[in-house]
Amino acid sequence: MFNRDFWSEIFMALRRNKLRTILTGFAISWGIFMLIILLSAGNGLKNGVNSNFADRINNTYTIWSSSTELPYKGHKSGRYIMLNNKDIQMLESMYQVEEVSPVLSRGGSLVFGDKSRSVNLEGVKPIFKNIEGIKVLEGRFINENDMKNKMKVVVIDKSSNDELLRVTGEDSMIGKTVYINGLSFKVIGVSKGMAFGDMGQCFAPYSTLQAIFNVNDYYQLTFTTKGLDSKEDNENFKVVLKKKLAALHEFSPEDKRGVWIDSHMLESMETMRIFNTINIFIWVIGIAMLISGVVGVSNIMRITVKERTNEIGIRKALGAKPRSILLSIVMESLVITTIFGYIGMICGIGVTELVNSILEASGGLGDGNGMSVFVDPTVDVRIMVLATLVLIISGVVAGFAPAWNSVKVKPIEAMNYR
Amino acid sequence: MIKLENINKTYFGAQPLHVLKGINLNVEEGELVSIMGASGSGKSTLLNIIGILDNYDDGDYYLAGKLVKNLSENQAAEFRNKLIGFIFQSFNLIPFKTALENVALPLFYQGVNRKKRNMMAMEYLERFGLKDWADHYPNELSGGQKQRVSIARALVTSPKLILADEPTGALDSKTSAEVMQILREVNATGITMVIVTHESGIANLTRKIVHLKDGLIESIQENDPDKMDFTKEIK
Repeated sequence: MFNRDFWSEIFMALRRNKLRTILTGFAISWGIFMLIILLSAGNGLKNGVNSNFADRINNTYTIWSSSTELPYKGHKSGRYIMLNNKDIQMLESMYQVEEVSPVLSRGGSLVFGDKSRSVNLEGVKPIFKNIEGIKVLEGRFINENDMKNKMKVVVIDKSSNDELLRVTGEDSMIGKTVYINGLSFKVIGVSKGMAFGDMGQCFAPYSTLQAIFNVNDYYQLTFTTKGLDSKEDNENFKVVLKKKLAALHEFSPEDKRGVWIDSHMLESMETMRIFNTINIFIWVIGIAMLISGVVGVSNIMRITVKERTNEIGIRKALGAKPRSILLSIVMESLVITTIFGYIGMICGIGVTELVNSILEASGGLGDGNGMSVFVDPTVDVRIMVLATLVLIISGVVAGFAPAWNSVKVKPIEAMNYR
Repeated sequence: MIKLENINKTYFGAQPLHVLKGINLNVEEGELVSIMGASGSGKSTLLNIIGILDNYDDGDYYLAGKLVKNLSENQAAEFRNKLIGFIFQSFNLIPFKTALENVALPLFYQGVNRKKRNMMAMEYLERFGLKDWADHYPNELSGGQKQRVSIARALVTSPKLILADEPTGALDSKTSAEVMQILREVNATGITMVIVTHESGIANLTRKIVHLKDGLIESIQENDPDKMDFTKEIK
């Protein structure tokens, strides 16, 4: 059945109607192509946002100091609540809290050679890397040994690093000694910056800075938790924590401000929810495009069969069996959808891979400081193949109805059809 | 070869049209029969029923001893392919196929391989003097050539029965004479032939003339074409 003659008949039919074949095919290629582009863009956005927090562990919290909104127990509203060592003790006494990393923050200037740059020096514990998802590009982050021995080591941000390298002509800052506010530190690593504007961000061991500065006020406390697995757990924990903080600092537990408590898990759940919505939206559009492709194919097949009615009548008179006519028409639409679906898929993959390689070469579409907003805009090949298969199957279904009608017509009616 | 018993056919449209009102006809093997009648007499319908291109409502039709009634599409295709060759007024060649491919098409549906198919088709084209035209498309051929291609196509499967619907209807008188000559020669090899025509000149070249009027056989006339000088008779 599927011998050379069969295929040459089909390709002859397709060649005979080049324009029609190409237009139909274009509708299909375009559908698949756009679906892939859409899905890739969605994935790229999602991957971009995720990549910023890829190393961040989820069961973490950040408490930010803030000012109150409500007057409480004789305190006026607008009072600034600074976090302190009592809060750290309180946190460490909670069974849900695993490890606390305060963020001891001091502004200053980073000096290397004769180059100076203003930075924010933050004393943190090694766990902070995971809490904030800090990416170390070169060297390493602060470790337990640094903490224990109060080492004077520092991790500098990428833009500071690049700036210093550019000015001094060095190859690497790792192992170099820099001065921050007159204190010497050895550079142990370069992190993907979380810096804002011209301000650099440097991390040193919390213990080292505490020993130097003897700090009792913090803008930011971070900690990891255990046993808070669900959304409810986290929401309840937030309420409990807020009450405790309110008691310590004498502000209203109802105060929406006072301190900010960010649950990374709740945050990421919210982010995921947004991306899932975007994803659903993209799929709806993509499927709508596929449907329009399928409608296009079935329309074209209907017209094709109508145009070929005479020919089909002649073939029947010469002894063509219904099956052979049915098969040739269905295979015709199958060939169109397969070939052009495949072309669309290849083009889609080509474009997404091209965009991806450009993004990778340029270090990602970001905010200039290493924050990515668009990463790996590609689609799972399985999904692409699935979409193409859906289209191919619909092509068969699309071809089948008109083919079946043509088979049912009496040969003499088909031959006399005008 | 053909046995028709009380064949009835009605076209159901806005106005039901009773085209065939009980046709009884026998055609023996090797006969050369013409069916004559005015337009609307039902002669083409009758030929289509004989060719299983159309169905009939009532009666019995035996082809080569087998009852042709309520056949499946597959069986009908088989009958048409193996037993019957068709020649049409408008040739009904497939426009995008060459003369050779057109002639070879019935063999394709018999499952004959390409090489043998083309060889056989070429043989028949040669027989009708069309060897040099084998690679031409129908629109590059004259009316007479087209009809000869379609005769070649009808004969290529060595059918038992040739059905010709106004085979000379679209041809000038000289070409008509040639085509009729060919058809008579084909009949002389023992192939049964039924020709539908409204031209008495054509009918007079057959051995049996069935006169059809208003869906009924008016008369069946025995005829000896050899007594006719057909070049004069046509038109």
